[in-house]
Amino acid sequence: MENKIKHEVKPYMNPYLAGFLLGVVLMITFFITGRGLGASGAIKSAVIVTVGKIAPATAQKSSFFEEYFSGAHSPLKSWLVFEVLGVLIGGFLSGFLSGRLTLKIDKGPKVKNITRLIFAVVGGSLFGIGSQLGRGCTSGAALSGMAVFSTAGFLTMMAIFGTGYIIAYFFRKLWI
Amino acid sequence: MGPLIPQDIINGDLNFFFALILGIAFGFILEQAGFSSSRKLAGVFYGYDFVVLKVFFTAGVTAATGLFFLKYLGWVNFDLLYINPLYLWSAIIGGIIMGFGFILGGFCPGTSLTAAVIGKIDAWFFIIGMFLGIFVFGVFYPFFKPLHMGSFLGSPFIYDTLGISQKWFLFWLIVIAVIAFMVTQLIEDNSTKFKELHNTQKLSLKYPVLFLFILACIALWLPQQRLSFANEKTKEVMTKVILSDKRYINTEKVAYNIINNQKDLYLIDVRSVQEYNDFHLPGANNIPLNDILNPSSLKNLVQKDKSTVLYSNSSVNADMAWFLITRYGFDNIYVLNGGLNKFYNDIFLEKKTHEGNSVEAVSEARFIKEARTFFKEGRANNESSVEKSIPKPTDAPLKAVKGGC
Repeated sequence: MENKIKHEVKPYMNPYLAGFLLGVVLMITFFITGRGLGASGAIKSAVIVTVGKIAPATAQKSSFFEEYFSGAHSPLKSWLVFEVLGVLIGGFLSGFLSGRLTLKIDKGPKVKNITRLIFAVVGGSLFGIGSQLGRGCTSGAALSGMAVFSTAGFLTMMAIFGTGYIIAYFFRKLWI
Repeated sequence: MGPLIPQDIINGDLNFFFALILGIAFGFILEQAGFSSSRKLAGVFYGYDFVVLKVFFTAGVTAATGLFFLKYLGWVNFDLLYINPLYLWSAIIGGIIMGFGFILGGFCPGTSLTAAVIGKIDAWFFIIGMFLGIFVFGVFYPFFKPLHMGSFLGSPFIYDTLGISQKWFLFWLIVIAVIAFMVTQLIEDNSTKFKELHNTQKLSLKYPVLFLFILACIALWLPQQRLSFANEKTKEVMTKVILSDKRYINTEKVAYNIINNQKDLYLIDVRSVQEYNDFHLPGANNIPLNDILNPSSLKNLVQKDKSTVLYSNSSVNADMAWFLITRYGFDNIYVLNGGLNKFYNDIFLEKKTHEGNSVEAVSEARFIKEARTFFKEGRANNESSVEKSIPKPTDAPLKAVKGGC
């Protein structure tokens, strides 16, 4: 059974080819729209709209949510939201064509499912906070910033990966 | 030429369409590269799989090199690109927190989306975490704000920060990338862990390295960077457009536009900030003549579906501003003929006589009268109360506006 599934799964693309194609897409994005690719910004829009709808009283207390009340149209009508919809479609298409659509939890061999999921939530929360301070995540700040030679992009990238390498040893049981 | 949408070369309404298409390409490539697996992503920190470094570095170098060449050829104007602003400590601390997030969560935001959509349950939880994190940041924003908005250093370029030229920076970036590829390949080959994750198409390292090396050499051997702006007009073209008076737009058209609350014109006041604050036409934006070629100003010179009209007290300063930005490469920029002085004379003083009884003359006189009441009664500042009954000035003014030189 296991073997049969593995046979149908196509191998991943050569990383250098994937990187080259991704770089070309990023360059075209800048050429057409004047801005780069991103991801966390769309989630920010979703959070702002959700909080604004469900708990307007909470939202009014912090200027972070003011876009919900002041904008001419919904924060969901933004470039990044449409781009992220595209990412979801593109990711699904790729997974479908390569036979990788399966429900599963990826984790290190020594970790229980529940541990992996708890750490995923914690890691996601940290990425949520970090991406707000860094004004973008690995895509919007680091990768897009690198493409236009921005100091902020290189600095954020070095901080992300530098920290990763420094602390990797302490969390090795999660992955190896 | 580029970027296309900020300069209105492609209609801005298509922006969301491009967002979707480019997003699909982005997501497809991320998933194809294996970024939908947290184990492969985490491998970069433990030496068993360097797919993150390979893809990320190749993409960054490719895009940076491509934009470098597009800029050199004058095909893309860097002044109009979004360059990430640098808030020093916010960027560093944000990056450190994201580093923790990466190790603990095994994803970054973009990769978690492609993983979630193909059924990775750990990615769903990561995304829930991101919602929580951003929510917490939002609720406690007053606490984060001093850090978030502090130590602002503009939007510097890395080569300026390091004090080297752009092409040398690009060269060293490529050299570092190539070394990183070779070293990590060695580490990966010697790692015995998790070979099953390396279900990847094989391709010799030779080709990417050779390709990058050629790019680096071309970048270094390029002759001196051209100094012209992206769309700079030639002297001959400028001579022609200066002699033409098509750039002038008359008082009535501008007044008509303001009164009827039509959004066809985008007014820019090129006088000083103080003069602007004392008085300006309703809806006008202020960009003083001296600042007109600043990157921040250039981004505000055109608005979607509108014709830009520059004005000053007379036509002189507006004409100078018009010259600078037209030479720089903008088209369809207009100048309010006679400036505010003529505007004031035409609308407020009853000097203008209308000879003849032709339909045009009568309706123009009636329009001026209406406009006078409008501006005098201060309704200009209260856009909602504008009445639709105000007659049009002679000839259809807006067609002429859109024609352009």
